[in-house]
Amino acid sequence: MSRITAVPVPDAFETRTNATFEALMWALARPGTVQDLPAPGMAGLAETLLDRECRVFCDDPAFAEVITTFGAAQVALPLADHCFLSLGTTIDRLTQVAVGSVLYPDAGATVVAEVGFGPGQRLRLTGPGIETFAEIALTGVAPEFWAMRAALCRYPAGFDLFLICGAQVIGLPRSTEIEVL
Amino acid sequence: MTLASLTKPWEAMSYGFLDASAKRELRRKMLKAIAVPGCQMPYASREVPMARGWGTGGLQVTLTLLKPSSVVKVIDQGADDSVNAASIRSFLSKVSGATETWDTTEATILQSRHRIPEERLRADQVLVLQVPNPEPLRPVEPNMSVARQMHADADYGRLWLILYEQIVRSGRVMQGAAYPSLVNGRHVMTPSPIPRWDVPKLHMAQHLTFLSAGREKRLYAVPPFTRVEPLVFSDVPYQVEDHAALTCHRSGVSGYFMNEIPQDDGSSAFEVSDSHLGIKTIRQAEGAAIRIGPTWYENGKMPQ
Amino acid sequence: MAYVATRGGERAIDQSERLYRAGLGQIDAARVDEIRRALPMLIDRVMGEASLYEPDLAALALAQAGGDLYEAVLLLRAWRTTQPRLAIAEAVLQDQLFTHRRISAAFKDIPGGQILGPSLDYAHRLLATDVLRGVPFIPTAVDPASVAAPAHQPSLAAWQKAQGLVADPARTDVAPDDIPDLTREPLLFPAERAHRLQSLARADTGGMLALGYSAMRGYGNAHPTVNELRLAEAEVRVRHPRGTVFSAGRVKVSQAEVTSKGKSGLLELGFCATLGWNEVKVISGATLDLNAPGAAKGSPVEEEFFLYHTEPVEASGFCIHFKLPHYVTFQSSLDALRGAKAATPAAPVKVTA
Repeated sequence: MSRITAVPVPDAFETRTNATFEALMWALARPGTVQDLPAPGMAGLAETLLDRECRVFCDDPAFAEVITTFGAAQVALPLADHCFLSLGTTIDRLTQVAVGSVLYPDAGATVVAEVGFGPGQRLRLTGPGIETFAEIALTGVAPEFWAMRAALCRYPAGFDLFLICGAQVIGLPRSTEIEVL
Repeated sequence: MTLASLTKPWEAMSYGFLDASAKRELRRKMLKAIAVPGCQMPYASREVPMARGWGTGGLQVTLTLLKPSSVVKVIDQGADDSVNAASIRSFLSKVSGATETWDTTEATILQSRHRIPEERLRADQVLVLQVPNPEPLRPVEPNMSVARQMHADADYGRLWLILYEQIVRSGRVMQGAAYPSLVNGRHVMTPSPIPRWDVPKLHMAQHLTFLSAGREKRLYAVPPFTRVEPLVFSDVPYQVEDHAALTCHRSGVSGYFMNEIPQDDGSSAFEVSDSHLGIKTIRQAEGAAIRIGPTWYENGKMPQ
Repeated sequence: MAYVATRGGERAIDQSERLYRAGLGQIDAARVDEIRRALPMLIDRVMGEASLYEPDLAALALAQAGGDLYEAVLLLRAWRTTQPRLAIAEAVLQDQLFTHRRISAAFKDIPGGQILGPSLDYAHRLLATDVLRGVPFIPTAVDPASVAAPAHQPSLAAWQKAQGLVADPARTDVAPDDIPDLTREPLLFPAERAHRLQSLARADTGGMLALGYSAMRGYGNAHPTVNELRLAEAEVRVRHPRGTVFSAGRVKVSQAEVTSKGKSGLLELGFCATLGWNEVKVISGATLDLNAPGAAKGSPVEEEFFLYHTEPVEASGFCIHFKLPHYVTFQSSLDALRGAKAATPAAPVKVTA
């Protein structure tokens, strides 16, 4: 009765979400490194992490439709545990993103955005996951974003960031210190 | 919509035993654990087909990560053939099709109870430590809610006090395994009941470590290149077990953590606790083409 | 590399399991069926602690575990983990329960009446030893009452609320989907009301009795009076995806409400309910619930204390885990002990008179 007769085989969904999670995990564990996702865009992240136990905010109505299919409830920004935001303009609303508390740092949100990797604003990263320092360059992020992030993320409170460009992801946990070069 | 559309075709077991919703919850919490190193993240911790306290926390993390190409090593007290390690390893491979190994250098995921292997873990490896009690403050504060507030306030004075009292009473810190350590300069964590010998292996390491307590429903992480500093006073240095000069009576290796085996004549014999390192050493001496990876300790010393 | 006490690998654990199962012999549908029919109280207890209502599976778990309750509960909980969630049932209100037994110790008679229902409370506990000599025990037939008791009963607390005897916090209707679920979220403190009641509902009967009894003996602030104890069946009403609400069947439930005079000058209530019929559990649980407000940290009636320590799967698992080898931690302590000994000058020898 403890015998498991046949080894289960992962279906396409399992394979895809497992690979997506692995990319997200290494992206966050090694801030600044570029990890490959199985598919381009933010939908893969959504299907890997979200279900009816999640509350999300999405400022793109088309993508909000996609998220609904995973069962997550759409809520006002301050209540969301996962926030899909465009960071290029109108980032004032960033101040409303949940940052958790020193008592419950896990209540800090995960912010997901599509940006460009490559020639653009250069950032120098230090902190856990980085041996000395790392450098990345991004386009599509408003210049004032980084100062706002620094002001909002009072470690261990804060939010964590996944930046997606095509089928690639960079993770910037709240523990990463970012210097704008 | 029909009732049937809410469910899925019957299958004996989900891939990797955990269903998709359990995996998603673990993934979300594992990401938060990485984002705040050493901070205990609460999770639902579903029941798995093993008793609580037998590695169910580590098991849930490992099951979430597994894929058919994974190579898993499971050790208990350093040994691959320990009965509970064998039981967990066989369960992991049966529910995922992952390959089993005893060789630290071959594994992609290593689940362990109470030890970190002596061979250095690489950047592509994940270590999953089983944790019986995730709360380093438990000896000074058994109430979880009060302890949580103490972590929030970085209020670790009472931990320092018991270490100080030990030095006054016994002339040294008496903490054995599970030495409380400050992670990323902010959260004190228990590294699980690994010996003091193993704690420096977590400091600025190449690999990613998850620590998961299934019964207590808490998981935390030490990402690569993260500071893990045992609580010590500047004038009383951190002391690992005095094993540097001991030699394994079976394999002849020395300079690693040892198991002490009491002998009939009142003396003690020692055998290397990382059992597969011992086996590899013996086989290498017999002429087999065995590769032993670089070890953290060299000649019984951890290079600074 | 052999350590005889604990090593031995896969063959050893395989043979050990075989040895255990050999003692239990063949398990077939007839055995499972017999357990289900002969031991309904045990089945109820296991289903309650497993928080899984399926008498056949509970009987199978008991058969597989040879009657080891903790093993049976773990088997069911682990099976439960693998099941998809199809729907969330509507909340059950007290006056909708199909009531078999309903008693109150607080009043001689209560609106709706005292209904003894099935009980051994007033039976003489004598073993029917004749059965062992081949004389079957045949229960005497029940004489039906001339007027059947009403199946549905109002809650006594409703009467007390109307009398202004208990505080009447306004009922807030929460959508079933929004009720926090202990099996999908961790228990944090102070616990949400739903989490506390869910945790009590799946708690270990014996553990809850031990802590509840300590409160009853005086390690609590409040002495319980059983306001209302019910054994009933509850309709499981779920909404079909097309919108219709339908009954998916009935489950046996027990609930207890205990009361004592509070500092506010009103009666205070403690509540506990569980799947299956289990009176000791719900009275103990309601007593703990009654005593919890304002309890000192670390006292048996403090919410964190009793909820953590009555979790059957966690408590039993941790208890048996001490059988696992701990020689690395022991070695580490030994090293510190020897180091201290070497560093300490020898104590002066005591001269005995």
